[in-house]
Amino acid sequence: MINSINRRTVLTALGASALATPFISRRSFAQGSDPIKIGVLTALSGAQEFIGNFVLTGAQIAADQINAAGGINGRQVQLEVRDDRNAPADATTAARELVGLGAHLQLGTISSAIALAMGPLMQQEGGIALTCGAGTEKLNHENYSDHVFRPGDSPYMRNRAEAQLLAQRNPDVTTWTGLVPDHEYGRTTWAVFMDGLLQFYPEIAKKEVEILDPIIVPYGVGDYRTFVTQAARTPANGIYNSTYGGDSVTLFQQARPFKLFEDRILMDSANEFIVAEALKAQTPSFWTGIHWYYETNKGNPLSDALYADYVKKTGNEQPMGWVAEAHAALYAYKAAIEKAGSTETADVIAALKGLEWDTATGKRIMRAEDNQVIKDVEMIYIEPDASDPKGYKVTDYVKVDGNTVIEPAMPGQKMELRKPT
Amino acid sequence: MTGDLLTILFNAMTWSMATFLVASGLTIVFGILHVLNFSHGGFFMIGAYVAYTVLNYFGFEIPLYAYLGGALVAAVAMGVVGVGVDAVVFRRLQNVEGVYVLIATYALLLVCDGFVKLVWGLNYLSVSPPNGLLDAIFMGDAILPTFSLFVIGCGLVVFLLLEGVLNHTSVGRTLQAIAIDPWMARAVGIDVSAVYRATVVAGFALAGLAGGLLVANQSLSPELAHIYILQAFGVVIIGGMGSIRGAFVASIFLGFVEAVSATYLPNYPGVLFFATIALVLVIRPQGLLGKEATA
Repeated sequence: MINSINRRTVLTALGASALATPFISRRSFAQGSDPIKIGVLTALSGAQEFIGNFVLTGAQIAADQINAAGGINGRQVQLEVRDDRNAPADATTAARELVGLGAHLQLGTISSAIALAMGPLMQQEGGIALTCGAGTEKLNHENYSDHVFRPGDSPYMRNRAEAQLLAQRNPDVTTWTGLVPDHEYGRTTWAVFMDGLLQFYPEIAKKEVEILDPIIVPYGVGDYRTFVTQAARTPANGIYNSTYGGDSVTLFQQARPFKLFEDRILMDSANEFIVAEALKAQTPSFWTGIHWYYETNKGNPLSDALYADYVKKTGNEQPMGWVAEAHAALYAYKAAIEKAGSTETADVIAALKGLEWDTATGKRIMRAEDNQVIKDVEMIYIEPDASDPKGYKVTDYVKVDGNTVIEPAMPGQKMELRKPT
Repeated sequence: MTGDLLTILFNAMTWSMATFLVASGLTIVFGILHVLNFSHGGFFMIGAYVAYTVLNYFGFEIPLYAYLGGALVAAVAMGVVGVGVDAVVFRRLQNVEGVYVLIATYALLLVCDGFVKLVWGLNYLSVSPPNGLLDAIFMGDAILPTFSLFVIGCGLVVFLLLEGVLNHTSVGRTLQAIAIDPWMARAVGIDVSAVYRATVVAGFALAGLAGGLLVANQSLSPELAHIYILQAFGVVIIGGMGSIRGAFVASIFLGFVEAVSATYLPNYPGVLFFATIALVLVIRPQGLLGKEATA
């Protein structure tokens, strides 16, 4: 018998076992009482580091809460954290490493470019990525992948909800322009916002809107006065802004002497508290989209616990919404694993599709056809207030029903939008 | 139309003088030491954060004297840092290949990034312009922010001071002699090492001063080091490496290019700026003012 084992047989067996090793080890991670490893792959350096830190904090709080409550099916959650450096090449290397470590269930993607790279990578490696703020609409359209899920609102939902709110609150503001950054995200958000204006103003305000050419602004520069001047000279009584972070702070600061926002309605796509925290009493009054505002969700036990744990962990009383995106993503994995009774990739994908789970912003439903969540879209209205120690205050907040602003599922197909005639 | 031209002119000058303020220290260090300091933006950024810390005590209402005082504190602080950086890093870079200079100063930039994150954190911050510089002057269609006038004034004052010192004093002539031939300068008894150290200190102090004067011009974040540095390098290259007069002329030239581009080619931001730099380098590789006006 022993003599029948020749060198070729041994090599074949070794080769077969080497090929099978990732699957065997993945199954071994999926069973027993070992901790469930979840990969947190987000920007911990580079231009998105500021947001990545909120994502990491949200994931850590969710893991602590889940572990304190007994874990997932009796198994503790163990986070494996990696820095994607906001670069697709670094992100894919780190994602592969995480899969190799057994953390094939991952979350934390902020960058659109990285989110798009995750599709083919996760398909090849047998993993899953849950994004935490990645904005590209292609994720659930042209570049749809079974292995990538967006558990937060898409730019389509966010920007159309903003247009819907404006049609309800400001029916007389019918001439619009935009301050739009010169990259794909900026142009996409403007296109979607226009689509929303063209739908909701006639439907809700019973008025037609005039949409002027947007002001395209460069990314990451120190002087926006020329662009502010152009915007100030337009007859627009509404301005949409999708510049972001430090660019927005600089632009809003330089716009102040031009009184650009003083007698115009300003809708900001996604800065949350970034601008107000920086400008304090200099901030203009404006609406901004936010992933989660704790006051809006007061009374929701998950939201109250998240806020309390965040303040306890960081000492900061003004969390940004990205905290809740990572928190919701980890709870999505928890709900999916419990539903599937397994951490196997195929089982978790099947469980995530159509999943309903509770989050800090309320119930979310993962649409099975295109892996896009249906959730309410949140917005807050910020006004300057020199008497407040922060220099500003939130004077209004709303939720827009996600069902009223989401597009039909069209995985693999390009998004279709209304355009001004 | 007149309003358009006036606005373009004004915005161009604001951009130009803000860039010149950042580029001046870079130019001086390159002109005398022939060290292309990639970390300059980092020290500009730390200067801005130092000024922010000083001005934080004044809350939302900042008197002009405090604003200028904050800029001076930033300049002095960066000058002191310059003494240390000269002793530890720059002194070792004088006789090495350019690639080592690039690596060393880039490493310094990373140190600056890390220092800012450690001390001031990742949050975006801002400083209000000082009292009296919050509004704008309206001239027909043109809107001229008073803070922009302040930036233009600061740029002109710094240029005139540097121009005066470098070209019309014995100190300036000594610096020019060392820049051209340090060996001969040593031979006639000039303490070249002391002059090098003073140059680094002056370059760093100018970076800090620029940070302090421009602290209300834009947001503060660890990205600030990179925001001006590209255009400052553009100005230094186009002006003629190491020439203060060249940097001044180039900053105005590129400021107009930038303003015209933003007004008439709004869908292609930045394209004309880089195309112009490429074109100038093809026509005049030595820069607009070339060698004749070196520091």
